[in-house]
Amino acid sequence: MIKKFIIKKEINMEFRNNTSLFLITPTMCVLIILFPILSENRFRVDSDIFLIVELLFLIIFTTLFSIRNPLDEQKLVKELNFGTIKKVDYFYSKTVSEVGIFYPQIILLLILFSGFTNTSLNSPLIHISLAVLFFCLNTIMINLFFQVFTSFSNRFVQFTLIVPIYIGFAILIAPLWLGVNQDISNIYLVMYLGITLVVYAFTNFYLRSAK
Amino acid sequence: MSLIFKSNNLSLGYGNQLVINNKDISLELSKNYEIIGKNGSGKTTLIMCISNNFIGNTFKSDIERGNNSIIEIGSTPSLISKMSLIENINYFLHNENLVKENVIEILNKYELYNFKDDLIEDFSSGMVKRSEIAIADIKNPDVLCVDEPVVYLDENGVKLLFDLFSKRESVGKTTILSSQESINALKDVERTINLND
Repeated sequence: MIKKFIIKKEINMEFRNNTSLFLITPTMCVLIILFPILSENRFRVDSDIFLIVELLFLIIFTTLFSIRNPLDEQKLVKELNFGTIKKVDYFYSKTVSEVGIFYPQIILLLILFSGFTNTSLNSPLIHISLAVLFFCLNTIMINLFFQVFTSFSNRFVQFTLIVPIYIGFAILIAPLWLGVNQDISNIYLVMYLGITLVVYAFTNFYLRSAK
Repeated sequence: MSLIFKSNNLSLGYGNQLVINNKDISLELSKNYEIIGKNGSGKTTLIMCISNNFIGNTFKSDIERGNNSIIEIGSTPSLISKMSLIENINYFLHNENLVKENVIEILNKYELYNFKDDLIEDFSSGMVKRSEIAIADIKNPDVLCVDEPVVYLDENGVKLLFDLFSKRESVGKTTILSSQESINALKDVERTINLND
């Protein structure tokens, strides 16, 4: 189901694409550095607005990542048929490659945000990492699903439809950042795992039933 | 005979605009076919539908397909423009047991060896078409669909393409061509689908 040659190609394309994440990430980093100075005229953000701003950055970053290079349905179909590649193999290999590209950068972004706003994490690092991994997987699968199974090649339509979904996914991370106790953290993580499995099952059903 | 594609009421279009209306089409393996028609008659739409590349409205047509390997060399390239020719070959021929010497031989045959490390986006339209033909030659699919076969190709390119058609005919592989008029590239044509009718 996960093909190495597709992952290799997707990562190569990411490096060669002019509108790639490697352009978005530095821009976001500059924004993060500037943000506390612009909002509070100092390198620190009050803890009461830290969470909402961090979620906002996470959503903006994920949205920019999602709309950076929309798939052209006709081109994709031709490519898959020319290479005798199954849609299901493409979907999951692309998901893995996107996670490979996105996850380290989003972790870097969160570290930078925490560092530059002089605000510490309130939950264990492993919990935050897992929650962000689930967030990445869900947003990437939803984004690919929209691009592969719908005709929303227009960036604006894509943006309008996926941002509310991303807000929902991001809000699930909020309790972990707020520093709830271990048991509640575990419940949230299991809940997030469940949602990831539901999204996986949903996309898998469509992929298997697509003609 | 093994089936490639069958429809007794094929209607195709984009949105509500009908391009092909209620055609009976039945294509079988090991036979060659030609699609001819004027501009806008639906040649590209039909060949894309046969090769399973069509994205549009099928108006609930009853379509039956065989389980054959089909490649389409169409009016828009299938190759990935940001990758070099050799990377494209490795990507599109991932499930073939590629022998380096054979790939070099084919690239030399199609006069592409010196360009193997160049990006496809730097290729001319003719070179892109040659590259796709070279990949089709290595892949040797059950069915090869070519839309406007001679467009973009120079004299030598056309000869290489016709040689490929002859080679395919000799081993009983199907070739489907679409053009404005018959180009007499195939010795035995089972049926000519005239979209001008």
